Amino acid sequence: MAKRIIVIGANAAGVEAASAARKKDRTAEIILITQEKTAGYSRCGLPFVIGGQISSFNDLIVYPPAYFQMLKLTLKNETKVTAINTKEKTVTTADKAGSTETLPYDSLVIATGADAFMPPIKGREKQGILSLRSLEDGEKILQAVQNGAKSAVIMGAGLIGLETGVALIERGLKVTVVEMLPQILPQMLDADMAKLVQEHLQEKGMCILTSKTVEEFLGNDKVTAIMAGGERMEADLFISAFGVRANTKLAVDAGIPLGETRAIKTNARMETDVKDVYAIGDCAESLNLITHKPTCAQLGTIAVRQGKVAGKNAAGDYSLFTGVLASAVTRLFDVEAGVTGLTEAAAARAKIEVVTGVISSKTKADYYPTAKPIKVKLVVEKESQRIVGAQIIGGEEVTQRINALSFAIQKEMTVRELAKADTAYAPPLCETWEPMVLAAEMVLMKLR
Amino acid sequence: MVKVDGYEVPEGLYYSKEFAWIKIEGEKVRMGITDYAQKQLREIVYAELPEAGAEVKQNEPYGTVESVKAVSDLVAAVSGTVEEVNSEVQSRPELLNEDPFDRGWLIIVKPSNLQVELPNLMDFNQAVEWHKNQVQTK
Ligand SMILES: Cc1cc2nc3c(=O)[nH]c(=O)nc-3n(C[C@H](O)[C@H](O)[C@H](O)COP(=O)(O)OP(=O)(O)OC[C@H]3O[C@@H](n4cnc5c(N)ncnc54)[C@H](O)[C@@H]3O)c2cc1C
Repeated sequence: MAKRIIVIGANAAGVEAASAARKKDRTAEIILITQEKTAGYSRCGLPFVIGGQISSFNDLIVYPPAYFQMLKLTLKNETKVTAINTKEKTVTTADKAGSTETLPYDSLVIATGADAFMPPIKGREKQGILSLRSLEDGEKILQAVQNGAKSAVIMGAGLIGLETGVALIERGLKVTVVEMLPQILPQMLDADMAKLVQEHLQEKGMCILTSKTVEEFLGNDKVTAIMAGGERMEADLFISAFGVRANTKLAVDAGIPLGETRAIKTNARMETDVKDVYAIGDCAESLNLITHKPTCAQLGTIAVRQGKVAGKNAAGDYSLFTGVLASAVTRLFDVEAGVTGLTEAAAARAKIEVVTGVISSKTKADYYPTAKPIKVKLVVEKESQRIVGAQIIGGEEVTQRINALSFAIQKEMTVRELAKADTAYAPPLCETWEPMVLAAEMVLMKLR
Repeated sequence: MVKVDGYEVPEGLYYSKEFAWIKIEGEKVRMGITDYAQKQLREIVYAELPEAGAEVKQNEPYGTVESVKAVSDLVAAVSGTVEEVNSEVQSRPELLNEDPFDRGWLIIVKPSNLQVELPNLMDFNQAVEWHKNQVQTK
């Protein structure tokens, strides 16, 4: 059994791993090391503090110091791991005062997460480009709003960019979102579904410019405008949301191999190619359940599940992480959007031939006053007739449908089986015919 | 009883910094874990408690509680001999979540050194301040 388990990174993945390790081993020394001041907080909640739904950044702390104390987890915050030596089985740390320490481990868990990505755009060294990854980032954005910012340009129309944009509109700012690709949420949705979300956001006052690449940051020392698609855009606040990149430097320097996604390569136990070294969360890759290819989806829901598996294994237990469907949901103003498995576009990239079905319905009986629209898109592999993906846009009730379809995909359900699903009905709660079932019927007709 | 950020802190008890409370009942001391502690652990599914007759020592573990995602030692707030164990909590550990200060008590101890050990604990007012601190630095 491991006598000392070291976890680098004390956020979603790291804390989960340490907790799982403690459940297996009541006596091992478990040390969590994070360079941040605050450990165990929810990044996912940051946009909602900016938007004002959550009253303080402090409320995002899911695991207060008491939690670490109760589980006898040693937390070293404001401490950076500067090197891993996999031969000697040690890590070297430097705290904020600059004093260094070398700690031996029996098992090591790398949960270093990801950082906001900044492409090599001209003028990127200038001040005043904010991003949203940490508590401090969130505080800076909110501070700028409280200091009277009236307008914002957000670069990137992914989940983080749009959630931040919504939050700023809720705070009264004029928001422009610039996206290089021809659609918003390109990782998450097909263009036809993304269009619905885009229309809703535009109705709410968000200015969305697609197919526009950010070319330059303008201004003397501080950014005052950007050039995008040949157009000059001024604003009080500039937020980069170009995506995130796995933090792999420690691993690379230690000779721990990366995989084809450029995140740390792992096996089904979340172990790296080096024995007793595990990698989890935003810095690690694992298999996509449909393509069986490595993927790095960088979601909190994946981080905690991988964390639990790695924590058990690091403490001498046995547990497997079977893979990801990258199920994700978001709410943008009054619209919820969700995805599980492959989009039609992702299936095409993976050379998987699919048939799709799209059904528009209501979230309650059509005649029921507060019924909201909902649209379900099913993606089905042609030969096996198995469901390989789904996207849903609706006014409510999206998440649990996404989860149901995620279970269906995990259980390799065919569209024929889904068309026979036994579903519930009551007018104030849903339609007689479940839209997921109707979408399945549509696919079956196309497959005839 | 006051609530600190939603965490209950009843009057008339003494508290330890290891999340235990005690209630002095004549010659005996009833012991349990605080509302703050149970809320950190969430749904408790297992409580491992000593048998009657066992000795417990202040600041040392005497049992464990395990929840769906966490596990924690139960650290004794005073030393003594276990006189009674709450068997209801063993069969229904969710009582620790539902009613930590009453039906979720854990053990009754005949204290061996209460006069000396009591000053190591926090009274109601100190416990309120301590809880406020916990919530702030969270
Ligand atoms: C604004 C926003 C909204 C999001 N919304 C959602 C959502 O709704 N749903 C969802 O599923 N996911 C969401 N995510 C993604 C989710 O937050 C991440 O997937 C999750 O935080 C990953 O957890 P992690 O522990 O792997 O990495 P991180 O949370 O990045 O934690 C890694 C930690 O390691 C530290 N670290 C790195 N290197 C070192 C070192 N050398 N020494 C010491 N410490 C180090 C880092 O500073 C960091 O604290 C969102 C993310 C953001 C930014």
